[in-house]
Amino acid sequence: MSILDRISNLDRRIVFVAVALAVIIPLLIPVGLPVEVTPPVQKVYNVIESLPAGSVVLVSIDYDPSGAPELYPATLSVMRQCFARNLKMVVIGMWATGVPLGQRALKQVALDEYHKQYGVDYVNFGFRPGGAVMLVNLGRNIHDVCRQDVYGTPIEDIPMMEEIRSAKDIAFTITFSMGDPGSDQWIWYYHARYRGNLATAQTAIGAPKYYQYMQTGQLVGLIGGMKGAAEYETLVKQPGLATIGMDAQSIAHMLIIGFIVLGNVIYWFEKRRKK
Amino acid sequence: MYMTTGLWPWFAAALTLAIYSFLYKDNPFYKIAEYIFVGLSAGYWASYMFWNYAKPNLFDPLFWPGDAARNYWNIIPLILGLLMFTQLFRQTSWMVRFPLTFVLGVALGLQIIATVEGDIIPQLAGTFDPFLKSNFAAYNFWQAAGSIVILGGVITTLTYFFFSIEHRGAFGLSAKTGVYFLMISFGASFGYTVMARISLLIGRLQFLLGDWLHVIK
Repeated sequence: MSILDRISNLDRRIVFVAVALAVIIPLLIPVGLPVEVTPPVQKVYNVIESLPAGSVVLVSIDYDPSGAPELYPATLSVMRQCFARNLKMVVIGMWATGVPLGQRALKQVALDEYHKQYGVDYVNFGFRPGGAVMLVNLGRNIHDVCRQDVYGTPIEDIPMMEEIRSAKDIAFTITFSMGDPGSDQWIWYYHARYRGNLATAQTAIGAPKYYQYMQTGQLVGLIGGMKGAAEYETLVKQPGLATIGMDAQSIAHMLIIGFIVLGNVIYWFEKRRKK
Repeated sequence: MYMTTGLWPWFAAALTLAIYSFLYKDNPFYKIAEYIFVGLSAGYWASYMFWNYAKPNLFDPLFWPGDAARNYWNIIPLILGLLMFTQLFRQTSWMVRFPLTFVLGVALGLQIIATVEGDIIPQLAGTFDPFLKSNFAAYNFWQAAGSIVILGGVITTLTYFFFSIEHRGAFGLSAKTGVYFLMISFGASFGYTVMARISLLIGRLQFLLGDWLHVIK
């Protein structure tokens, strides 16, 4: 059997092991490759930076644990920037399985790092079902959609919600989204009706679709996948899991590019041999 | 190096390894982990939906309103919801059409407006605006080139999907150019998909090497 035949009949499990090693080794021995900040991510950062203290930011946790490696680091970074700038935060979510992630992020950033007061500086309404219908109503009357917070406290008893009534009171909205319901619904049902500053942090698999909404101005910015999260960690000067993961990401990509080139070369040789 | 002594990281690590064992070949450990995931997800959703949505929004205002006035309008969604269960019995399964028709009608009404307001009009405007506005001259080279590429991409890709004219001559050339735009788009999507999948692997390995084995911070 020639080398060509051996490679073309390579056990796919060897490829799995190679990819696993390409990820494990940089995690154990970080290379520290630089993270360049791209314009879509910089725009999200700039919009939040431009908000005066006390402005209200609406954060939607629209992902579950399978999206956490890409979106949780971005959630932490955006929350850090908002609380450092003394912005008020309203958190909701369209995925029931994302509620614990939102609570964990708020505990870590709002409570432990910035010592913010619940109900005064931030509030978590947890899972809000209904997708499109919920968003249409949310923009019109937040009190109608969020009658009680994630701990069961009626909205009337939450001090910061006295002045936050509708989309008009929200200065900036960001969805951390991994699918449906998510960014699409925020753009089509919420932004189309109520306008305002809307941005999305999207898992990489869906990110390419949302560049077109940036071009039209429907989105003010886009944080795409773990790379976008690493860029945001760079901007807020607090490197975390995404930045650590970028070494592994880059080396795994180089390996996959190598496999793609190798596969095409073998394909070309086999085609030539058959002729 | 020391391993965590907590029960849950061990349980999560065992499930992660059980799922990845499928890469070697299908096995009982993978099946167990798969069934646990499906069962837990379904149970979590059902429980969460009842206690955080159905109870406070539907049942409490109707049956246990407390000091507030009883909301009799909730009888309508309650009946529609109960009708969904009629499909469990052959004799009554036809009644499921009523709630489904209601849901479809609302969804369709919302979707039509959303597609026009949120997608078609803004995207068309975004494609043609740079050329309709007099500020095209104020664009720098890359902005102007970008606008031309977007317009060219839209027109040539649309010609590829126009099948009433034979794809020959100038029209054929336009359609062929559209195919190249599509290929570039698919390539970008594939690249991002690879990145997403590697990110998931990184996330799990960060958990195994960090939270479980403590060999990385």
